[in-house]
Amino acid sequence: MSYLAELLASGLAVGAVYGLIAMSFAIIYKSTGLLNFSQGEMGMIIAYVAWSISTATDGNPFIVALGSIVFAVIFALAVERIAIRPMMNEPILSRIMVTIGLSVIFRASVILFWDALPHGMGMPAGEVLVSLGGVQVRAAQIAVIVVLFFAIAGIWAFFRYSRFGIAMRAVASDDSTAQLMGVNSGKVQMTAWGAAAVMSGTAGVLFAIGAELSPSLYALGLKAFPATILGGLDSIIGSAFGGIIIGITENLVGGYISSGLKEVAGFVIIVLILMIRPYGLFGEKRIERL
Amino acid sequence: MRSGYYKETLVEHINLTDTRLQRAWIFIGLIALVAAPYFFDYYGLSLVTLMIITAIGAMGLNILTGWTGLISLGQTAFMVLGAYAYAISTESWDWSPLAGFALAGLVPAAASVLVGVPSLRLTGLYLAITTLASAFIVNHLVLEFDDLTNGSSGIFVNRPTILGFSFDTDQKFYYLVAGFGLATILACLNLRRSRIGRALIAIRDNDNAARVMGINLRTYKLYAFVTSSFIVGISGALYGIFLSFVTVDGFPFLLAIEALAILIVGGMGSIAGAILGAIFIIGLPEVTSFAFSAFGDRAQSMFATSAHEIKGLLYGLVIILFLRLQPHGLMGLWQDAKRLWSLWPLRY
Amino acid sequence: MRFTTAIAASLLLVSPGALLAQDQGVTDTEILLGEVEPLTGPPSLLGVAHNLGVRLAIAEANANGGVADRQLRLIAEDDGYVTSRTIQSVRKLISVDEVFALTALSGSGQAIASMPIVEQFGIPTMIPIGPLPPLYEPPVDNIFVVGQSYTEGMRQLAIYLAETYPDMNWGVVLQDDDYGNALHEGIQQAMEEVDINIVYETEYARGQTDFASEMLRVRDAEVGVLIAGGIISENIAMVRETERLGIDPVIATFWPGRVPEVLAAIGEASDGIYSVDYVAPIQSEEGQAFLELAATYLTEDEVGRVNRYTMTGYSSTRVLIEAMRGCADDLTWACTIERLQSNAPLDTNVMAPIGFGEGNRFSNSEVTIMRADYETLSFVPVD
Repeated sequence: MSYLAELLASGLAVGAVYGLIAMSFAIIYKSTGLLNFSQGEMGMIIAYVAWSISTATDGNPFIVALGSIVFAVIFALAVERIAIRPMMNEPILSRIMVTIGLSVIFRASVILFWDALPHGMGMPAGEVLVSLGGVQVRAAQIAVIVVLFFAIAGIWAFFRYSRFGIAMRAVASDDSTAQLMGVNSGKVQMTAWGAAAVMSGTAGVLFAIGAELSPSLYALGLKAFPATILGGLDSIIGSAFGGIIIGITENLVGGYISSGLKEVAGFVIIVLILMIRPYGLFGEKRIERL
Repeated sequence: MRSGYYKETLVEHINLTDTRLQRAWIFIGLIALVAAPYFFDYYGLSLVTLMIITAIGAMGLNILTGWTGLISLGQTAFMVLGAYAYAISTESWDWSPLAGFALAGLVPAAASVLVGVPSLRLTGLYLAITTLASAFIVNHLVLEFDDLTNGSSGIFVNRPTILGFSFDTDQKFYYLVAGFGLATILACLNLRRSRIGRALIAIRDNDNAARVMGINLRTYKLYAFVTSSFIVGISGALYGIFLSFVTVDGFPFLLAIEALAILIVGGMGSIAGAILGAIFIIGLPEVTSFAFSAFGDRAQSMFATSAHEIKGLLYGLVIILFLRLQPHGLMGLWQDAKRLWSLWPLRY
Repeated sequence: MRFTTAIAASLLLVSPGALLAQDQGVTDTEILLGEVEPLTGPPSLLGVAHNLGVRLAIAEANANGGVADRQLRLIAEDDGYVTSRTIQSVRKLISVDEVFALTALSGSGQAIASMPIVEQFGIPTMIPIGPLPPLYEPPVDNIFVVGQSYTEGMRQLAIYLAETYPDMNWGVVLQDDDYGNALHEGIQQAMEEVDINIVYETEYARGQTDFASEMLRVRDAEVGVLIAGGIISENIAMVRETERLGIDPVIATFWPGRVPEVLAAIGEASDGIYSVDYVAPIQSEEGQAFLELAATYLTEDEVGRVNRYTMTGYSSTRVLIEAMRGCADDLTWACTIERLQSNAPLDTNVMAPIGFGEGNRFSNSEVTIMRADYETLSFVPVD
C-alpha cells in the first residue's frame, strides 16, 4: 500500500509541475488562439533568474518568489509586446513559427548569460524533507501542489465571475468582434501572457529546487504539452487535471511496468486522445469534423 | 518596357516553361548543376549536396503545408522511417538500392496514412500536434525494435550501386542527389499544374468552398499527406546515405523546425521558395561563421564561448525577422523585385 | 552538350583522395590542428573542457619551441553533438582548413559516424572523448583512441563493489543506448568472476528527468548497491530521489559525469558515491599540479572550467605532439602515424602512460576506483 501511495505522491508532485505549465499553454491558447511553443523555455529563463536572485540573497524564499514573479510578468509583457503582438493578423503558422524562433533564442540565451552546467538552486528551505502520512516529500513538491490548487481555484473564479475573464473568452472566440464590443484585446493578451509566465515560471523554479537547474529544463514544456491536449486546449482547468493525470500515469507505468515507456507515454496519450476525443477530456466540442 | 505576361489559353497557363528567356535560364541552371563539382571543393560540394537533399525534403513538406495548408511537425518521423527503410532493406536484406529507395518512399507513405486518417478530420492545429507526437513515437519504436533497427547503435550505409554504376565518390553521389532533386522538382511542378494540385490549393484557400465545388476533402488531404511523406522519406534515405550512418540521433527534432523555417523563409507554397529557403537556411551557419572569422581572426583558434551561442541566437532571430518583415519570404522579395523592374517608374 | 558530358565523365575518374597533399596543414611557420566537439548547448560542459586541454598542450608545446621550429595552431569546430554537423565540420577541417591532424571527433556516436571519412583520407586522428569499441575494433590505421571502454571500467568497478559489499541486492538503472549497453556488458563480464545478485534492472529513455518510480522500485527491492548509469542530470535526479525516499544504497557512477558540478548539484547525498576513471582526480597531487600548469597558460575563467575532460584532451594531444616532434624532418601523415604507433608510452602524469602498437589503436588506460567527498567537492581514490 505504501508503494502505491509513494507512486501517487511522486506522480502528483511531478503532475502538478506539468499541470501548471499545461495551464500556461491553455491560457494563452484560450485568449489568443496561439500555441506558445516557447513556454517551457520561458519557464526555464525565469528559473535561472530565480537562481541568480537566490545566490544573491542567500536563498531567502520570499525575496526569490517575489523577484521571480516580478521578472516573469515583465518578461512576458516584453515578449508579447515585441514579438507576438505585431504578428496578430498573420496566419497561424507564422505566429507559431515566431514562438518556435523565440524558443531557439531563449535556449541559446540561457547558456549565453549563465552557463551550460547543472546547478542546485541553493534554496535549502525548499529541499527540506517533510513527512506526510508515511511518505517523504520535499517542501518544494508540496509547494507546487499547493500553487496548482490555488491556481485552479483562482482561474475558475476569475473566468466565472469577473468581467475580464469573460472578455478573455470573447477575444479568443473572435478578436475583431470583441474589439468592436469595447474589449481591449491588447490588455487581454498581456494578462494572458503574464499569467502564463507566472505559472510556468513557478513550476520551473519549484521543479528545479526539487531536482536541479540545468539548460535542459525546457524539456518540461514538451512533457506538459500532452497534458494540455489531454485536458483540452481551451480548457485551462482541464489542462491542470491533464497534467496530474499524466504525472500519475507516468509514475504508475514506471513503477509497475517499465521505465522505457515513461517518456513516450505522454505522446501516445496525445495520439489516442486525438483519435477518440480530440477536444480533450474537458474541452468544448468546437473542433471541426469533416 | 513590357507591361506583363499575357496567357490566352489554358495550355499556355500550365506550361512548364513559357518564355525563351526562362528556358535559357533553366538551361544555364542545368549546366551549373552539372558543372558544380568542378567549382566547389570537397567541403563546398558536400554543402551543396546537403542543400539539395534538404530542398527535396522541403519540397515534400511544401506539398502538405504550402499547397494544402496543413501544418506538419512530423518531418523527422518520415525522414527516420525513410532512412531506416532504405538502410534495413539494402544492408540487412541485401535489396538493390532502387528497391531500397522505393521502400524508403513507401514506408513513410503507409505510416502517413496511419497518422493521417484519424487526424485529418480535425483542424490543422491538431494535425500539427499529432505529427509532433508521431515524431517522438517513431523514435521510440526504432529504439524498441532493435533486432531490426540495431537500436541506438545505428546502421552503416554504403553508397549505392545502381544498375552497375557505383556512386561511391562524393562527386558521383552529388550527381545522384542532383538527379533526385530534378526528378522531385519535375514531379512537384507536374503535381502543381494538375487537377490534384489545383484541388490542394483550393483546400488551402477555403476548404468549405472546395467542398462545395465537389472536392472530397478527406481523399485529397490524405493524398497530399501520402505524396508529401513519400518524398520526405526519400530525402531521409538520401540524408542517411549522406551521413553514411543511420541513427535516431542523426535526425533530431530540430530538423522539423528547420523544414518549416525553410518554407517560411523561402516563401510558403512555392517550389522555388523551398529550394531558395533550403539554400538560405543551410548556408546561414556558414555565413555567420565567416562573418565571425572576419570580425576577429582570433575567434577561430581561441574560441569565445559567446560566439558559438550567438550563432544559435542569430538563427532564431533570422526566422523571426523574416516572419515579421517579409512574411512572403524570399520568393516574396523576388516577386516584389520583378514587379518593380517591370513597372518602374509607375507604382502599379 | 555531349562534349561537356564527355569531359565531365573523364574528370570523374579522378578521385578526390589523390588530389590532397599528404603534408597539408604545415607551413614554414605553423602547423594546423583541428577538432570537433560540442562547444554549445548542455554537452558543452565536456566539449569546452576538452578544448581547454588541447589548447593547454599546444600552448605548452609552443612555449617550448613548438614542433619542428613551427608553432601549433588549433581550429575548433562546434557541432553541438549533432552528427550531421560533426561530419560537415570534419569535411571542412580536412578539405578547407587543411589541418594536419585531428585532436577530437566529438562524442562516441559522432566519432563512429565520421570514421568512414577520416579513414578515407588517412589523416592522423586522436579520439579522447567517448572511446567505444567500434572505433578501435578492428583498428583503423590512422585513428588512435585514448582512454578506456565503459565496459572495462564497469567490470572493474562491479568486481570491486561485489568484493567490498558482499551479499547485497543490486539495482541497475541504465540508458537505452550504446552507453547503457556497454555498462550492461561490463556487468555481465563481472558476473563471470564474482557473484552479483541483481534484483532490479531497468532501462530508461535518454533525457528522462523524473526517476521517482525507479528509485521507489529500488527501495522496494531492498537494493544495497545501485548502479546509476546516467550521465549528469539523470544521476543528479536519481541520487536526490534516494535522498528523498530515505534510502542509502551504495551508489556507483561513471566518468562521463565525474565532475564537481554534479556533486554540488546533488548536495550532501553525494558524499561517498563511487566512481571510476582513468584520469587523476583534481584534488590529488597530480591533479593539483595539472591545475597549476593550466593556470600558467589559461585565463582564470578557463581554469575554473577545467575538469577530467581537460586532462584527457591534454594527454592525447601531448601524445600527438610527441609523435610529430619525432617527425621533425619528415612532417607527413605516414611518419606521424608510424611514430604514434611505435613511440614508447608517454606519461603525462594525470593518467597511465599512453602508448599504442602494431595493430593496436587503443590506449587501454588503467582505471582507478574513487569515492566522492562532498566537503571538498572532489573524488578520492580508494585503496
